[in-house]
Amino acid sequence: MRPIRVLIVDDSAVMRKIVERSLRQAGIEILEVLEAGNGVEGLAAIQQCPVDLILSDINMPAMDGLEFLQGLRCLDNAKNTPVVMITTEGSESRVVEALSAGARGYIRKPFTPDQVKERVTPLLEGVR
Amino acid sequence: MNPALSEKSAARFRPDATWPTLIHAAAHEVFQMMVGTEVQPGDFPPEPQIGEVSAMVGLAGTLCAVFRIRCPQDVAGSIATKMLGGQGDSSQVCDAMGEICNMVAGNFKGKISGLSDGCMLSVPTVVMGGDFNVYSTGQERVEVTLTYDGKPVWLTLEISN
Repeated sequence: MRPIRVLIVDDSAVMRKIVERSLRQAGIEILEVLEAGNGVEGLAAIQQCPVDLILSDINMPAMDGLEFLQGLRCLDNAKNTPVVMITTEGSESRVVEALSAGARGYIRKPFTPDQVKERVTPLLEGVR
Repeated sequence: MNPALSEKSAARFRPDATWPTLIHAAAHEVFQMMVGTEVQPGDFPPEPQIGEVSAMVGLAGTLCAVFRIRCPQDVAGSIATKMLGGQGDSSQVCDAMGEICNMVAGNFKGKISGLSDGCMLSVPTVVMGGDFNVYSTGQERVEVTLTYDGKPVWLTLEISN
């Protein structure tokens, strides 16, 4: 697998750094990390630069993670990009909603690098 | 209104004797996994300290409440630094404390059967400084005090159901 380009969408800059560190600790080789503070910024970022993987928070101002997912599916260069939602909410209905909207997995906060690896690695098997 | 909230709004959750233990367990997991520090039950006076940091998150739905984490500023700085693997700075204290509060509140409600789907969290608010009072319409309060590297962290759930 080649090093990947990843987009991390979260309104917390601290959480974006933790997610990036967790990916690196999980042994995932990263070429570049793009960051966005909400769904609007995330859609703008991905239109500029396609990525191999997206990790997105659900609860965000301006545009939440579920609206972001719907927006992604309208973009030719992102509609097949795997998206993993990261959520504080333990709500099953929110998780089901995210998976129904096209998310390929979810990670609940708090999380460990091993949990990130378990969720993300299978999604990167097609990256060559 | 979120359909999950409207369907379940009739069934309000009330605190019971297990909630302090569940709040402690939720905080312990968050601090262990995200900060790399074990927190233990503590015994500190509840009086406000100069230079403290308070992070709050609202819960709405089958549990209407405000969850608050309060600690001295040096503790908040330590939490932010550890969360960022030793690379944090003072500008990230509020962000880090808001995330900790959000995660502990979310983890706590996930530990109560049936609560998660009917109760949503607000985005967190963080206040720095000790010279203020918090007024709440809360009718019941659950308080837990923790020790973080020998210093206090106070957790309060003010319930307004």
